Amino acid sequence: MRQKIQLFVLLIAVLTITVACSQPTPQVVEKEKIVEQTVVVEKEVEVEKEVVVTATPAPAGEAATIRIGGLGPLSAPGTVVGGIAMQFAMNLAVQDINEAGGVLGKPMELIFADTEGLPERGTSVAERLIQENGVVALAGEYHSAVGRTIAEVAHEEHIPVLFSETWGDFITETGYPEVFRIAPASTMVSKVTAEWLAAIDVETAVIIAENTDFGIGAVESDTKFMEEAGITVAEPIFVELGTQDFQPILARIQAMDPLPDAIRMNVTGENSYNVERQMTDLGLAPTEETVGIANQVAIQSEFWESVPNGEHWTFTLVGLPPSLYNETTERVATAYRGQFDTQPPSYALEAYDTMWILADAIERAGTTEPDALIKAIEETDIDLAQGRYYFEYTSDNPVPDDVPAFMWHQWPDPAVLMLQYFEKNQGPADAAVIWPPTYQTHGTSYITPGTTP
Amino acid sequence: MGLHPTVIVWGLLAGPIWGLIGAWGLPRVYRQKGLGASGAGTVGALAGFVAGPLLLAPLWYFTPELTRRWSVGVAALAALELYTLFAILYPDNLCVTNRDYVLNQVASGLTIGFIYALMAVGLTLIYSVQGVISFAHGQFYMVGGYVSYYLLQLLTDFNPIIGVPVAGLATLIIGMAFERTFLRPMHLGQIERAGEYAILVTFGFGFFLEYTTLAAVGPFSQKTGPFINAGSFVLGPLRLLPNRLVAAAVGIGLILALLYLIRYTWLGKGLRAVSQDKQAAAVSGVNPLTMNTLAFGIGTMLAGMSGATLIPVFTWVPWVGATAAVRSFVIIVLGGLGAIPGALFGGLIIGLVQALGAGCYPDPSKGAAYKEAFGLVIFALVLLWRPTGLFGREQ
Repeated sequence: MRQKIQLFVLLIAVLTITVACSQPTPQVVEKEKIVEQTVVVEKEVEVEKEVVVTATPAPAGEAATIRIGGLGPLSAPGTVVGGIAMQFAMNLAVQDINEAGGVLGKPMELIFADTEGLPERGTSVAERLIQENGVVALAGEYHSAVGRTIAEVAHEEHIPVLFSETWGDFITETGYPEVFRIAPASTMVSKVTAEWLAAIDVETAVIIAENTDFGIGAVESDTKFMEEAGITVAEPIFVELGTQDFQPILARIQAMDPLPDAIRMNVTGENSYNVERQMTDLGLAPTEETVGIANQVAIQSEFWESVPNGEHWTFTLVGLPPSLYNETTERVATAYRGQFDTQPPSYALEAYDTMWILADAIERAGTTEPDALIKAIEETDIDLAQGRYYFEYTSDNPVPDDVPAFMWHQWPDPAVLMLQYFEKNQGPADAAVIWPPTYQTHGTSYITPGTTP
Repeated sequence: MGLHPTVIVWGLLAGPIWGLIGAWGLPRVYRQKGLGASGAGTVGALAGFVAGPLLLAPLWYFTPELTRRWSVGVAALAALELYTLFAILYPDNLCVTNRDYVLNQVASGLTIGFIYALMAVGLTLIYSVQGVISFAHGQFYMVGGYVSYYLLQLLTDFNPIIGVPVAGLATLIIGMAFERTFLRPMHLGQIERAGEYAILVTFGFGFFLEYTTLAAVGPFSQKTGPFINAGSFVLGPLRLLPNRLVAAAVGIGLILALLYLIRYTWLGKGLRAVSQDKQAAAVSGVNPLTMNTLAFGIGTMLAGMSGATLIPVFTWVPWVGATAAVRSFVIIVLGGLGAIPGALFGGLIIGLVQALGAGCYPDPSKGAAYKEAFGLVIFALVLLWRPTGLFGREQ
């Protein structure tokens, strides 16, 4: 009897683990949805094998829903906080789209897959979404290294992919007709940061970056623009994601004589909080001598829990500051705050917009046939949470030689701002916009630590 | 630098070649003379590496008794020689030019080493009594941190130090309940492939804890307030972080308490007896099953307290235990499986090597990225020298 009870308990534990591992998200409703979808998919694969030779999904007219494949990290070593935020925003968009009548008269359906921040996992889940789940387009993803492999799959399968948050220049540099992006390229962010640093007379800088495709690419573009702006950039410091103790490497910076004028963080997720906290505790940055530029996740309220003395850190904000939100942004922000009790980061807003862009394109194309859909995405012109979306360089207007190759299928206008906290526990809406000058809220390009604007 | 590349290449090769000759030849010389060859291979390798024939020849000729002093002496000479070589090759490196910088790295490494050791001590205790490596150890560490975090959400005005005993109690109970439910059948002979079962069940429970926590608390990073609300302070040439010092002090205190418990209490004697011979312990009136449960509970309690000690220092997420668990495995194998002093010294060595490796590696762009790898290099070298680890016993 005792053995049976133990066996039963073991069985329950294994089942719980299996369920937990398959969809590690607090949104229970989604878990149930995925299980249901799997059954349907198995049936569809058989139909595709019989009717269609290639992996091209069945025409919209034959499917009950319009399926979009969502991608993002929901497990470590990926930035789970990014994946969860994007998944939530995409689900919210699908809900809004369906409440507005769906797409081509059918409900839109999101099948979200966990890429774990691993490139090889990105390849396998993208292939599965296209070949087994029959999605008509891919959307999302947080990590550039994963985005690179997803772009390859999308190209091979000739299925459009709209990236929400992969900054690496290389994502769109390939010029693949299927690949689009609405997040800024690393170069676009680096340019703004370098212009700002030059404007506040920074002469020397150190860059700390994660040892990933994103980090390496960001260091290259940061260094390029800073050097063009006359800033001397020291040898970059690469760190492994998952590291907690950065004191040994920060001691290297502390031993520099003179200390650098600025320290730039290109480390994502919670890892960035550890570095920023330790820099603050060591009195390395931000100080009167050294400007601290945090990762963009400093916009989240968790920043203050991790870096309680983090006033005067500056950070990059992609998209408009809360003071300039439009109606759609407010709608997303309200829902996001209701779920996570924090301000939506840019990647959540971008993920929301991604789904609407795809819905709009499918509606205009009148079909989910890939070529028609790609053409329709190229012709996008729609106002959403992050502003007006369009793609300047398309098949009708190829990228000229004097324009960087990453501008192919790249939204050219993502707002990139520099913000700075100047009091403890400030929300992003209260932080000072310090760059570019047109958006400045406190009439200054930098608030020196120890002072208020 | 002024040295011809050929000289550098030969200089670099000479040490390892003579080291191999010493490791191969010296034990044979001792055996030919009918002397004990224990340690001769190590001393021969290090002596050959340090001074080549200048030290190997007298050793071969006089064959002195190779006590621990010989091992330590030639190891110190080897370290000095490596450092000199490093200084010649990289004269501008901070670890050559800046004594205060080196002292700071050593202080940082020792501080973090005590914290690493606390978690590893729990893992090695479980192994020494149960003969089981718990693959859920990192998740108990994570749970301990969260218990402390949520306790302090309720008791907002309290210092995070109160989270340490509460997290210890919570992880003690969870650990004992898990052991009682899932591991005891193994000890009762009800499981056919006990070794594989232990790996699977602890691994599975680790997943269960991690993903259940993720579902419950979400992916957003969390952190308690600090033990002491202050940045760094300067003590002579050292710049120290007070919260890390508190964490290290808690670690030292808990390790000392554990050593006292193991050495001087009836419970500790019982645990030691079971770790040495279960049947003999049972004959003496010690219940091995109870000791198994207690050992597992105390081990998980130490992991939980380690987590509660570190959540004021580092940002906490549900998967924070993964890297810490791997590091603990390295530490206990390095120190010798089942040896508590080994886990302590293993933790300190890994802490030091990581700090000095990251701080001294010539290419600053890679020093931090290779941080975990430096520990693994030392781990591999020590295992080559002593496969049982620093304090491990031959089975």
